[in-house]
Amino acid sequence: MKRIDAIIRPNCLEAVKDGLVSIGVEGMTVAEVRGFGRQKGHTEVFRGTEYSVDFLPKIMVTVLAADDRVASILEAIAQGARTGKMGDGKIFVTPIDEVVRIRNGEHGDAAI
Amino acid sequence: MTEKVVRRRELRIVRVASLLIALFIVGICGSAQTGFAQSPKPDPAGIATGDRTSVTDAAGNPFVVAEPTDKTAPDYAAAKQSYDDYVAQAAKEPLATKLADGVGHLRIGTNFAWTLNTGYLVLFMQCGFALLTCGLVRKKNAAHLMMLNFAAYVFAFLAYYAVGYAFQFGAMAVNAAPANIGGTPTLNHFLIGSGSWGWLGGKGFFLAGPAYDAGSNVLTLFEVVFMETAGYIIVGAICERITFWAFLLCELFIGAFLYPVFGCWVWGGGWMSQLGSSWHLGHGYVDFAGSTVVHAVGGFCAMALAVILGPRLGKYGKDGKPRAFPAHNIVYVVTGTFILLFGWMGFNPGSTLGATDLRISVVAVNTNLAAVAGSAVAMLLWYALFGKPDITMACNGMLAGLVAITAPCAFVSPTSAVIIGVLAGALVCGGVLFFERVAKIDDPCGAISVHGLCGWLGAVSLGIFADGTYGSGWNGVGTASYLGHAGQGVTGLLHGDSRQFLVQLGGATLCAVWAFGATFVVFSVVNKIKPIRVTAEAEERGLDVPEFGMVAYPEDALVTVDY
Repeated sequence: MKRIDAIIRPNCLEAVKDGLVSIGVEGMTVAEVRGFGRQKGHTEVFRGTEYSVDFLPKIMVTVLAADDRVASILEAIAQGARTGKMGDGKIFVTPIDEVVRIRNGEHGDAAI
Repeated sequence: MTEKVVRRRELRIVRVASLLIALFIVGICGSAQTGFAQSPKPDPAGIATGDRTSVTDAAGNPFVVAEPTDKTAPDYAAAKQSYDDYVAQAAKEPLATKLADGVGHLRIGTNFAWTLNTGYLVLFMQCGFALLTCGLVRKKNAAHLMMLNFAAYVFAFLAYYAVGYAFQFGAMAVNAAPANIGGTPTLNHFLIGSGSWGWLGGKGFFLAGPAYDAGSNVLTLFEVVFMETAGYIIVGAICERITFWAFLLCELFIGAFLYPVFGCWVWGGGWMSQLGSSWHLGHGYVDFAGSTVVHAVGGFCAMALAVILGPRLGKYGKDGKPRAFPAHNIVYVVTGTFILLFGWMGFNPGSTLGATDLRISVVAVNTNLAAVAGSAVAMLLWYALFGKPDITMACNGMLAGLVAITAPCAFVSPTSAVIIGVLAGALVCGGVLFFERVAKIDDPCGAISVHGLCGWLGAVSLGIFADGTYGSGWNGVGTASYLGHAGQGVTGLLHGDSRQFLVQLGGATLCAVWAFGATFVVFSVVNKIKPIRVTAEAEERGLDVPEFGMVAYPEDALVTVDY
C-alpha cells in the first residue's frame, strides 16, 4: 500500500480530482498548504513599503492506493496538474504499513 | 480558585464600585444646578422654543423687527421708525402675528429634524471607522481594534456628557447663538474669559439645568457624535500596541478636555471665532464642519500618542528600513470607507444646523467632489509611483479629500472643492510615505496624514478659496456689508481677503500645536507613571487574547465547539 501526496496549483484541483475519479479512485483528502520550490516567492508593495510573499498557496491532495494502481494514479495527477511552467508542484509516494476503515474495522487493501 | 485570586477580584470590585459611587455623587451635584433660578428659563419640553422671532425670509431677514437700543447709533432714527411701523402693523393684524408663532415653531421643528437626522448619519460613521481600522491591521489584533472603537464611543460620550459639552458650548449664546435651532439662550456663561475673549464655556455640566433644554439637546446630540469622531480617529495611529486602560484614559481626556477646549474657541463663541470683531481678521477663524476642530485635533493627538508609544515591534528592521504589515481584510477597508463617505453627508451638510439654510445642497455636492478628487489622485499617484494602485491608499485619498473639504465646504465653488480634494489626495500620499520612511512614526492606518495634515490643509484652503457667496455676517462680522459689498460672505485670499487667509493659517497651526502639545505632555506623564504600551509578549501574540481573552474570528477560537 502506498500513500500519494501531490502538491499542486490550487486552480488545478478540479482537473486532478476529475482525472482521479475517472480512473476509479474512490476517495481523497485535500488540504490547503503553503510553500515554495524553485519558483520562489515574489515581492509586493503595501502602502509604499515592499514585502515578500515567500510562501505561495498550494493544494495538497492525499490518495491511498494499492501498489499496482500507483502508476496510473501518478499519471492522472500529473496530467491534471501540468502547465509546463515553474510552480506546477511535486508528488511524493511513501509506503504505509496499515489502513483501517473506522466504520467496520476492515484492514489493508480492503480498507482503501 | 486560590485565595489570592479571590482577594484580587474583590479589590477590583471595590475599585469599580467606588468609581461608580464617585460618578453618581458628581452627577447629583450636577443635577443640583437645576435648583438655581435660571435666566432665561430652559425649555425641556420644547413647547416654548420657536415663535414669531424665529421667522425669517429666505435671506435670513427676521419677521419681527427688534427695538433698537443704542440711541447714539447713526441709523437709530431709521431703525426706530421701522420698529414703530412693525409694532403698529402687528397691532392691526393680531392673527398674522399668531400665525407667525406657528411658522416659527415649524421652522425650528424642521431644523431639529434635519440636525438630528444628520447627527444619526455621523453616528453611523463610527461603524465605518471600526471597519476601516480593523481591516487595515493584522488579524491577530482584530478583536482589540473593534473593542477600541466600541469603547471609544462609550467612554468619550460619558466624559462629554459630564463636562465636555459645558466646556465647549456653555457660552454658545454669548457670541454664536445657533438661531436655526432656537438660539440656546440658556447657555450664556464663560467659565474662563468673557465677551470676545472666551476661553472655556461654563454652563450645562451633566446636561443639567441650562442644558436640560430641547434646543440645547439637539446641539448635544449633533456635537457629541463630532467629538466621537475625534475620539476614534486616534485608534488608527495607536492600534496594535496600546493597553486598554490607557486607551480609556485617552478617550476621557479627549471627550472632557482636549476636544471641548479647542471646540469652544472656534464653535462655542470663543476667542478664535471672534478675531474678526476683535482684531479685524476677516470673519474670525472659520471652520465650517471641523477640518481642524474635529479632524486635526484627533490627528495630532494621535501623532503625540504614536510618538510616545513608538513603532510596533518589527516595524523597522535593524537597518532602520520599514517593513510592511499588510491589511488583513480589504473588504472591511473599502466598506468602511464608503460608510464614512455616506456619514459625511451628515457631517458637512448637517453643520448648517438647519434645513432652512439652503446652502446644504452646495455643501453636499462639494463634499462628494472633494472625496472623489482625493481618491482619484491617490490612486493615480500610487499607480505611477509603484506600478499598482493601492486599494488602502485609494481609500485614504477619499478620506483625505473629505477631511480637507470639511472646513471650506460651505464657502467654496465646486471647482475649488475638486482642487482642494486634489491637494489633499497628494498630501496624504506624501504624508504616509514621510511618516513611514523619514519621521519613522508608526501610523498603521494613516490617521496622522489623513486627519492631521489634511485637516490643517482644509482650514488653510478655506482662507484661499472661499468665494464670498456664503456666510454673510459669520461670527458677527460684516452683517451689513463686507469688503464694500452688501451680503459679502466669508472670503479667501483668491477673492481679495488676505486677512482671512492669515487667521486660517495661524488658527490651523495653533490647532496642531494644541492637540499635539497637550496630549504629549499629559500622556508622557502617564507613561512615566505606568507604561501605556502592552508587553512585548502580548504584542507578538496579538492583543486579542492578552487584553480580552477572545479572538475576532470563530476559526481562531480558543475552545472546540460542537458543530
